Amino acid sequence: MKLSEDTERIQDLLGDYCRTGVDQDIPGITPGRLHHYRRLVYNVVRDTMDTAFPITLAALGEEQWDVMVQDFFSKERPQTPQIWKLPFEFYRYHVNQETGAKIQKPYLDDLLYFEWIEIEIHTMPDRPFPGYSRTGNVFLDTLAFNPEYEIVRLEYPVHMHSAEKTLELKGDYFVLVFRSPETGNVQFLNLSGLNTYILTRLAEERVPLNELKGDIARVAGIESGKYLDDSLSTFIGDLIDKRLILGYIT
Amino acid sequence: MEHQMNGKVGIGLRRNISKEILESTLLKPDFLEFAPENWMGMGGYWNRIRKEAVEKYPVTCHGLSLSLGSPEELDWDFIRELKVFLDENQSSIFSEHLSYTKSRNAHLYDLLPIPFRRDAVDHVVDRIKRVQETLERPLAIENVSYYTPVAAEMTEIEFISEIVEKADCQLLLDVNNVYVNAFNHKYDAREFIGKMPLDRVAYIHMAGHEQVAPDLIIDTHGQPIIDPVYELFEWTIQRMDPVPVLLERDYNFNEIEQLQSELDHLKSIIKKHWKVTNESPERRNSSAEPSGVHETN
Repeated sequence: MKLSEDTERIQDLLGDYCRTGVDQDIPGITPGRLHHYRRLVYNVVRDTMDTAFPITLAALGEEQWDVMVQDFFSKERPQTPQIWKLPFEFYRYHVNQETGAKIQKPYLDDLLYFEWIEIEIHTMPDRPFPGYSRTGNVFLDTLAFNPEYEIVRLEYPVHMHSAEKTLELKGDYFVLVFRSPETGNVQFLNLSGLNTYILTRLAEERVPLNELKGDIARVAGIESGKYLDDSLSTFIGDLIDKRLILGYIT
Repeated sequence: MEHQMNGKVGIGLRRNISKEILESTLLKPDFLEFAPENWMGMGGYWNRIRKEAVEKYPVTCHGLSLSLGSPEELDWDFIRELKVFLDENQSSIFSEHLSYTKSRNAHLYDLLPIPFRRDAVDHVVDRIKRVQETLERPLAIENVSYYTPVAAEMTEIEFISEIVEKADCQLLLDVNNVYVNAFNHKYDAREFIGKMPLDRVAYIHMAGHEQVAPDLIIDTHGQPIIDPVYELFEWTIQRMDPVPVLLERDYNFNEIEQLQSELDHLKSIIKKHWKVTNESPERRNSSAEPSGVHETN
């Protein structure tokens, strides 16, 4: 059963007003009341973005931030029925609009993504954990990864420095973001390019570290030997302590 | 289980008070209400909290985003996911707002008033029927608070009653919303409730509000319930059979004792007028643990 064109038009006018704040000629309303709808609707969206992106808000300042939220909400058509996912649509919108370049904040995409990924990792659906033992050999046994992680590549090291400072540090940065199996808290770990390579190979190929040592040595430009073994042992040991690596596949 | 919930008093599970609800003895609701949108497809810490809540309490669900009054087609993917969520959490009641939250294919995340018009009645009735069919359960629609009518061609009570009757659905009677609307639009709240199809009421919501102007109240869910709303609640429940009653609070959780005193106040009123079993509503055991909820999103 379809609404009449007139009713549909009236409903859309109210929706337009709530999204844009631009007055619309809506029939049959009580004067002086409509602005509460715009205020309530916008406050929900603004609060959601403020909560999701506190670092970006602080870096850009209130005025610039509000322009970005207004721009997003008035021009984009939010698709998720779940408002806690809306920050991702906000991030994607501003990447597509190249807002960072327009406002001369080239770190903007990275900063928004860095803040979003914390929400994403914290809330993402549970992934199946492998069977594992806490005892084993770092080099000879296949390592069991906590499956709830992502490796994020950034151009600006917003995970280590204030946003403005990163302007002079443009490069290739890798951040391991993972969820603690025990607490559900999200942890971040800065990774070198080499460690990113090691982790990616281990996770994708699911083979013992020993089988990759030759490739790792070549990429690192060092000889396979005690120094490499000690370095790998320290790196993997740290990841075991932090619970990115749970133990050894059984 | 549903009859065990009648006359019981619950509270909405909000993240800010989840710890108090699950761990402390300061807050003791009979059941919990979930907003599915806030929990669907979520893993990690909050998924554990949801599972723990489902183990400890009976659950009702109150939707936010169906947008029953929107011109555009219903979001069937979302509705199918919703059904999985309702089934897994063994929700005894599912309710939604008689409003629209989507316009020009954009979610607005708040409740906009549907014009009280005949074509809107037919439109909403058709959608409620299809939603009930897909969810395989009755839908209780909530009378919403509104701050201005929009191009109305019939009264609010005619609008609600016709929809409930034609859709053959249930009603979630929000007593605070009736109070707010009666104040804002200058009608008599008791007379309004007297005309409501009270035999269709499956669930009651109670909440606080905020007066922002001499002639306007906003339904905030951020304040304690005021005495005139308790009085309206007491007047109402004498005219209907027992149903579950929910205290809605969305923010201002500073004093948990205050929330418990509101639950106690509601219970004391209910005890005067409804014959309610002293048994706690059925708690779930771990074998009823929901599974696979994360795969839907």
